[in-house]
Amino acid sequence: MIPIEHYVALSAVLFTIGGIGFLVRRNVLVALMSIEVMLNSVNVALVGFNRLPTHNNAHTGQVFSFFIIAIAAASVAVGLAIVLSLFRIRRTVRSDEADLLKN
Amino acid sequence: MKPFLDLFPQNDFSLIAVVLLMPLLGAFVNGVFGRRLGKPAVRMMALSAVGVSFAAAIATFVALNGAVDAAHAANGEPAHTKLAWLAWEWMRVSGPNGSKIAIDLKFSVDALSGVMMLVVTGVGFLIHVYSTEYMASDKGYWRFFCYLNLFIFSMLVLILGDSLPVLFIGWEGVGLCSYLLIGFWYGKMPNAAAGKKAFIANRIGDFGLIVAMFLLVVYCGALDWDGIQRHANDLVALTDRPGAINLWPIGGGRFEDFVIGGLRIPLHYLQPDKPWTITAATAVGLMLFLGATGKSAQLPLYVWLPDAMAGPTPVSALIHAATMVTAGIYLICRLSFVFVLSPAAMIVVAFTGAATALLAATIAVVQTDIKRVLAYSTVSQLGFMVLGVGVGAFTAGFFHVFTHAFFKACLFLGAGSVIHAMHARVHDEAASQDMRNMGGLKKYMPLTYGTFLASTLCIIGFPLTSGFFSKDEILARVLIETPSGVKLANAAAPWQWPSWAPWVLWTMGVLAATLTAFYMMRLVFQTFWGEFRGWTIGRPSQLPKTAHEEHGHTEYEAGEDGDEDHHEHHDDLSQPGAPPHESPRTMTIPLLILAAAAIVAGIFNPAAIKLVVSTFSFLPLEHWLDPVFKDAARGIVTADHHTAHTRELISTAGAFTAFAAGSGVAYWVYVKEAGRPARELMLKVPRLYRLVLEKWRVDELYDKTVVSGVDALADTAASVDQGIIDFILARLTALIVAATGTVLRVIQNGVVHVYAAVMVVGMVGLGWFFVEPHADFTVVEQNGDYTLQAGSGPGYEFRWYPDATKEPQTKDFSVSDNLKVHVADGKSQTVKLEVKNAFGRIGTKAYTITRPASPISGAGTVQIREQ
Repeated sequence: MIPIEHYVALSAVLFTIGGIGFLVRRNVLVALMSIEVMLNSVNVALVGFNRLPTHNNAHTGQVFSFFIIAIAAASVAVGLAIVLSLFRIRRTVRSDEADLLKN
Repeated sequence: MKPFLDLFPQNDFSLIAVVLLMPLLGAFVNGVFGRRLGKPAVRMMALSAVGVSFAAAIATFVALNGAVDAAHAANGEPAHTKLAWLAWEWMRVSGPNGSKIAIDLKFSVDALSGVMMLVVTGVGFLIHVYSTEYMASDKGYWRFFCYLNLFIFSMLVLILGDSLPVLFIGWEGVGLCSYLLIGFWYGKMPNAAAGKKAFIANRIGDFGLIVAMFLLVVYCGALDWDGIQRHANDLVALTDRPGAINLWPIGGGRFEDFVIGGLRIPLHYLQPDKPWTITAATAVGLMLFLGATGKSAQLPLYVWLPDAMAGPTPVSALIHAATMVTAGIYLICRLSFVFVLSPAAMIVVAFTGAATALLAATIAVVQTDIKRVLAYSTVSQLGFMVLGVGVGAFTAGFFHVFTHAFFKACLFLGAGSVIHAMHARVHDEAASQDMRNMGGLKKYMPLTYGTFLASTLCIIGFPLTSGFFSKDEILARVLIETPSGVKLANAAAPWQWPSWAPWVLWTMGVLAATLTAFYMMRLVFQTFWGEFRGWTIGRPSQLPKTAHEEHGHTEYEAGEDGDEDHHEHHDDLSQPGAPPHESPRTMTIPLLILAAAAIVAGIFNPAAIKLVVSTFSFLPLEHWLDPVFKDAARGIVTADHHTAHTRELISTAGAFTAFAAGSGVAYWVYVKEAGRPARELMLKVPRLYRLVLEKWRVDELYDKTVVSGVDALADTAASVDQGIIDFILARLTALIVAATGTVLRVIQNGVVHVYAAVMVVGMVGLGWFFVEPHADFTVVEQNGDYTLQAGSGPGYEFRWYPDATKEPQTKDFSVSDNLKVHVADGKSQTVKLEVKNAFGRIGTKAYTITRPASPISGAGTVQIREQ
């Protein structure tokens, strides 16, 4: 059986990758993907903790991860719609050029 | 009589309401509907309002007479009687020592206000009648009568008010009406300016009146006449509060040296050896008198009255000669019992009156505008009245108010009649009122001349006319009576007048009387005698068919629409024209009535007859007013009988000489020599002449000092407003907000990644907060038992050390988050807490609890100090 530390480590690595990707990339599509990566890292942590013997085979973690997957799908749908609108207005998907509200 | 008195009991005499409210009704109807009603209806409303008011006033007076007689019979001596009517209870204000002062809208008629009431409504009615014709072609007819009725109402409130605040309402009301009527033809700049001047000068006086009211509340604890009279002695008494007011240092402070660091500002030089104090009575008297100087046009506030002649002539007659301007004298008479407490205030009153009488008379001597001469003559006569009340001769002063109302109203209306005639061809206002354009009018206007001459004889003191009796009485009383104040057991002795004061006052009065005789006769000779100088009077065949009646009043129309073009079609005065015409009957009948009243009004107090017939005692007014001034008489010293008789003889001789000399010189100068000596004198001392012609340049002096001072103050205030208020409060605050915004805008840069980074920083901070353990607890004390309650957190476990130097309470961490310890008196103990959170990290906190030693119960201030 894989020890819990591996799950947590993997989750932390994925979350960091997603976070850094979100912070440093200017492409909105990549930023969205980074967000997906972070959400998935959370999923990994949830299902990993769920396998701990103290949980007595309850499936709270797994159920929770399904909710997160649903939310991620919804957020991607909204996010892509925003990106499309942005592209129609500004002909770009770079987030630093989306500055209509600035000043 | 009895049913009448049953209907109107003495202390609920609601007939006063009719006297008061009819003019108000007239003002309301004319003011609101007057424009649509048309002239006949406006005239009807105005005349009936004042007429009914006059009739009700007569009925009230008769009832008052009955009440006075009844009180006389009941008491065996004349007693102060009044008819009162309480309109409604207005308000209660807190007085000194927690007392409540009732300020009610209450009106009352007593002997003094009864006479005033009759004069105001009676003379007011006659002037209303006169005005219906005089103002006949004015577009603002309805407005004029609205104001005039409102004036009568305000004046009646002033007279009939039973307390100072109610009087003050009327006082302000007449001031307002005066302002409105002076600026009646507001289209002309000087008229509007004159109205403003009157209003501002009166405002200064009102300030004094208000301060006097405050002082009376503090020292007497009352504002109604009876209450003030009851507590008047408190104004000088030293029983329960200091009866003195500190003038210097202001408010009774002390000047100490002012030290800033090493700098020493020697203020103690400002501290007098003994504080300069005046009694409260002096302060109240002077402040009331300041109010009177404003309303009654005394030095130094008289400057508004001559300018007030810009208003229509009937207004000058009613407001600025007969009634309103006497309000100040009425106020002094009304509160005579306050004034007599302070001989110092009285000497100020007397000298102000005498100086005003003299100064105004000198100015009147050289004026050429007929209304201006009369205006200065009014100021001068008001000076006489104030002189009278100033020496404590309240009856004599008030008698002059009474007689002056008739002859001065008649003089002004006569002048109006003359101006009315001049307007037939002279449309310029200044030219139509200039005496140099008149002359010989007695042939054309016999009725006006007769009445004008009668009133002139009164004002100059022709023997046996009303003015002779009243003015002579004042001058005689100046020599006989001296205010001495009232000696009270618990107060300092009042200050006494110097012995020369009466003689100086008398000399000033006689000089002013001489000048009065001169300038009034000059006025008569220049206006009515000699040849007419206005225009050439042609034979009837030479005259164009169109008489000048149609545009006889064009000047009056100018005000309503500000249309000055009326003056364009001047008649060519070099062409012969119709002779000046006598005024219509509606104008001459009031003149005749007033002139007759002026001649015979002396009958009410012909005190001078006593000199000839020593047993003579027909003095109705004096006996009538005696109860009113009985309380004041205790503060007046009268010369003994023999001395008084001698001085009265001297005084009457002086007054007669003044009349004879003044009018004789005027006859010699203006009739015998046709004005030649006057012209020669004018050329000999041109600078003095110009100085007097320009009214001693008092207006210019005020402009240079007071007005420019106030202007400078206003400029300073404006620059403070712009420099400090606008800059610091408005601009600087805006600047701070803008600067903060500039800084914050750098953060709010619109880059999503920066926002995300900030969010990450926040999340990291939050995470660190949860990972760190936070040990903290609160301490509640009760009689030495201390309950320590730890702050909770997720997964927290606690380990307590009741004494930090010893072992913990339990070896392991537990979920018990509180601890009870006992600390003995005067002891001190250190308590330590260890907290372990879910991550196994441990935090520590220790407090030292110190309980002070308490001899009684052990309860004391607990000191908790963090280790």
